Amino acid sequence: MRRLCYIVVALCLAFSAMAEERTVAIREITVVGRRPMKEIGTQQTKLDSVALKENISLSMADVLAFNSSIFVKSFGRATLSTVAFRGTSPSHTQVSWNGMKLNNPMLGMTDFSTIPSYFIDDASLLHGTSSVGETGGGLGGAVKLSTQPANAQGFGVQFIQGVGSFKSFDEFLRLTYGNDHWQVSTRAVYSSSPNDYKYLNHDKKENVYDENMNIIDQYYPVERNRSGSYKDLHILQEVYYNTGKGDRLGLNAWYINSNRELAMLTVDHGADTDFDNRQREQTFRGILSWDHLRKNWKVAAKAGYIYTWMAYDYKRDLGNGVMAHMTRSRSTINTLYGQAEGEYYIGNKWLFTANLSLHQHFVESRDKNIVLQQGGNGILGYRKARPELSGSISAKWRPIERLGLSVVLREEMFGKEWTPIIPAFFIDGVLSERGNIVAKASVSRNFRFPTLNDLYFLPGGNPDLKRESGWTYDAGLSFAVGKSGVYSLSGSANWFESFVKDWIIWLPTTKGFFSPANIKDVHAYGVELQADLDVALTKEWQLGLDGSFSWTPSINEGEPRTPADKSVGKQLPYVPEFSSSVTGRLSWRRWAFTYKWCYYSERYTMSSNDISLSGKLPPYFMSNISLEKTIPLKHIELSAKGVINNLFNEQYLSVLSRPMPGINFQIFLGIKF
Amino acid sequence: MNSLRRIFSMVVAIVATSAALCGCMKWEYGLVEQFRVTGSGLFISNEGNFQYGNATLSYYDPQTKQVENEIFYRANGMKLGDVAQSMTIRNGIGWIVVNNSHVVFAIDIETFKEVGRITNITSPRYIHFVSDEKAYITQLWDNRIFIVNPKRYQITGYIEVPNMTMESGSTEQMVQLGDYLYVNCWSYQNRILKIDTRTDSVVDELVVGIQPTSLALDCHGKLWTVTDGGFEGSPYGYEAPALYRIDAERFEIEKKFDFRLGDDPSEVQINRAGDTLYWINDDIWAMDVTAERLPAAPVISSRGTIYYGLTVSPENGDIYVADAVDYSQQGMIYRYSATGEELDSFYVGIIPGAFCWR
Repeated sequence: MRRLCYIVVALCLAFSAMAEERTVAIREITVVGRRPMKEIGTQQTKLDSVALKENISLSMADVLAFNSSIFVKSFGRATLSTVAFRGTSPSHTQVSWNGMKLNNPMLGMTDFSTIPSYFIDDASLLHGTSSVGETGGGLGGAVKLSTQPANAQGFGVQFIQGVGSFKSFDEFLRLTYGNDHWQVSTRAVYSSSPNDYKYLNHDKKENVYDENMNIIDQYYPVERNRSGSYKDLHILQEVYYNTGKGDRLGLNAWYINSNRELAMLTVDHGADTDFDNRQREQTFRGILSWDHLRKNWKVAAKAGYIYTWMAYDYKRDLGNGVMAHMTRSRSTINTLYGQAEGEYYIGNKWLFTANLSLHQHFVESRDKNIVLQQGGNGILGYRKARPELSGSISAKWRPIERLGLSVVLREEMFGKEWTPIIPAFFIDGVLSERGNIVAKASVSRNFRFPTLNDLYFLPGGNPDLKRESGWTYDAGLSFAVGKSGVYSLSGSANWFESFVKDWIIWLPTTKGFFSPANIKDVHAYGVELQADLDVALTKEWQLGLDGSFSWTPSINEGEPRTPADKSVGKQLPYVPEFSSSVTGRLSWRRWAFTYKWCYYSERYTMSSNDISLSGKLPPYFMSNISLEKTIPLKHIELSAKGVINNLFNEQYLSVLSRPMPGINFQIFLGIKF
Repeated sequence: MNSLRRIFSMVVAIVATSAALCGCMKWEYGLVEQFRVTGSGLFISNEGNFQYGNATLSYYDPQTKQVENEIFYRANGMKLGDVAQSMTIRNGIGWIVVNNSHVVFAIDIETFKEVGRITNITSPRYIHFVSDEKAYITQLWDNRIFIVNPKRYQITGYIEVPNMTMESGSTEQMVQLGDYLYVNCWSYQNRILKIDTRTDSVVDELVVGIQPTSLALDCHGKLWTVTDGGFEGSPYGYEAPALYRIDAERFEIEKKFDFRLGDDPSEVQINRAGDTLYWINDDIWAMDVTAERLPAAPVISSRGTIYYGLTVSPENGDIYVADAVDYSQQGMIYRYSATGEELDSFYVGIIPGAFCWR
């Protein structure tokens, strides 16, 4: 604790040199009472720019872990990080960026560690039924990410340099130009690190031998995270043109070049210099958009293209310095995207919407080179194309100001297979205008098609898989009170229940590979609580507190696989029953102190919920703090920020045998003009 | 400076409050138990889930019907590792091959305490002792069989397998007859190797069907292997699996017993007398080594079980079968008499795949 105090003091003193006794405006506190027609009955978590732009080194996985109650399963920084709503799996979370799907069509899930939070201007989580209004397949929910025009006037430059523990470097550059019609923005993030943090490895012991090779001592080694380095480059180019007469054209182009090692397990007794386990990715996503807005109607169209090249190499030193491939896997995805949507208001009581989107995937997977029986080489893989069409229409009706009703009908086609009509019904009503107390309820059906790997991966793909299906029910209350410029307090409590049938799971086979099957029926239910508070303590002091809590039992209700099966009626493995997060922000003049805290209850590693010595994932609390100071000068603004991650130096795991870093530090210096 | 003091006090207060709220996560490690087992017994290596490092070792006493799980962890205060593939005993030392941990642990089979380890092996599958000072370790994703000195826990050399690349490299189970060692090559392979243990070199190879999974030697000097036939869509081929009887000395196929396309036979085992073969093909099958056709009925029928491992007691011929259940919870071992009567059942670790008799 004393060490922490010293660090905090040091940060304060370092920044005090730059302190100015100038009072600046604090964030305006407003209370929103009006419920937009589009959001009738929906359960939504919106992440504000303060959360998204808190730290350039954060990925969306980090932002979601500390600002929402959804479960983030992470292997560490710059490694696979997936999110799951309400006890479902990562592939049950649909993710879009400016309307375009980010879910990998081969794997179904989205790696949130590859989405820098500084590239996202607007993020909202659509829980359960609420996702049907945006997309199909979100049996858990959907994450909607988008960028926005910078609203610049003239040229602007922002550069932030970050330096952190484990020789981590993060650079962020943004160039903007804007006038009444044009908004142009270029953003670039480059992050690199050997990522070789130290940890006490209590999964293995080192032996000390005598000259006769008898063990005379054993100890738990302090090891470094081995082979965990990364180099990630992201570039985002945006151009928007606004006619000023209701038409807006946009271009978004995002390029990713990622080179990441896959860190060794705590139980790996190989030499890191003798193995190279690496994943590389190059992705380009481009979208052209057109919005045509009129007083009571709107039409919009988008066209886009995604190119993804992924390589996985696992190599071994043969002892002569030559690294030979054990696995050499390549996959390429080309996706064409198109979308059209329209909105039509009749007075302020009716809103009709229609949306049609198409993603046409062309996938080539080459997983392994083998020597054939007859000689020569063969490649194990597949090449497939699949269109994914999704269309919806909705009608939203507010007969009186206190009541809203909405119906959404969606239908999807993957390949040649159509879903039945996917209906969703929403209702909300104001119980009390005084506290803006609103009751909401919704129900929806939903389906998720198997991914391309589920169907065609060699070996193991199962073309006979059925689509997963589910029903979800939501009901909740929300309130918002406050006094403009003084305080605002809002909160919500939501109950949900969902049933998923034919859940797809990959299991080992006796032939040495994994294969997917529709084997589980899952009943997930629970409660989500959320509260946000903003208070202007004085003219100069402002306090913000955002908190969330989830209780999400996710129960296997399928048939026993064999007579010895103990998993029926048990919580799904790796799904925490409880999770919570709190973010507190205290600002004074140009200073801002942030405290972020999150909690996950114990995750079972066995489907039977048995606890074993070799498979324990205890609950953990995580605390990060930061202190930031901005210094406005005549033409430029300087900023400095100190961050302490894992404040209490907890030893914790998100995934078995994957140690997470202990206490670590980051400093960011920024300039903006 | 007053203002600075105020912000500093506020920050310290918040940090101190949160520290009180959080506490510390509790990790229990470093505790070890003392074991001392005698008499005969059965080790079960449980693979655990690939990439999760939750492999375990179990021990079963057939006399008392007592099972002890996670004995490696409990005796040594550390994890066994990622994917425990097999175990072999020689001179009171148990050698546990842990595939994706790149290690072979040596343990005292009475106390379960580690006595040494061989590390940095590519992807070890099985270990076979040629002498006290020489053993072979087969590999997946490597075209070499590693030669090790078990006394020094050192890798001393390699046997290069001809016409095999690293990427589709696979050498599996080993049986020895005289100076020659026979090895089945499984993943994207179709052959049995013959290795001269005096020169550590491959001297011959015999092509069988696609993917021979296991290997056994009977009392008449015949090798037995069963293929799994590959899988549909494989560029390597897909065919009906078969059981092969091979004359070891002449190194020729004597007899091929065909299964149906889509069958999934594996785990050829032999009893102590070497006169009865056992294997898994959904059910458990047994056959006299002199038989000329496959049996019509299994010795033990599947009961909705997912049989993953098989062994036969060298003492009384009892049959032990591992059920992997859903591959993500404790597996179940069923013990049957030689005639198929159930005698006992007990839970072990995740994905029990291999047995080793003490």
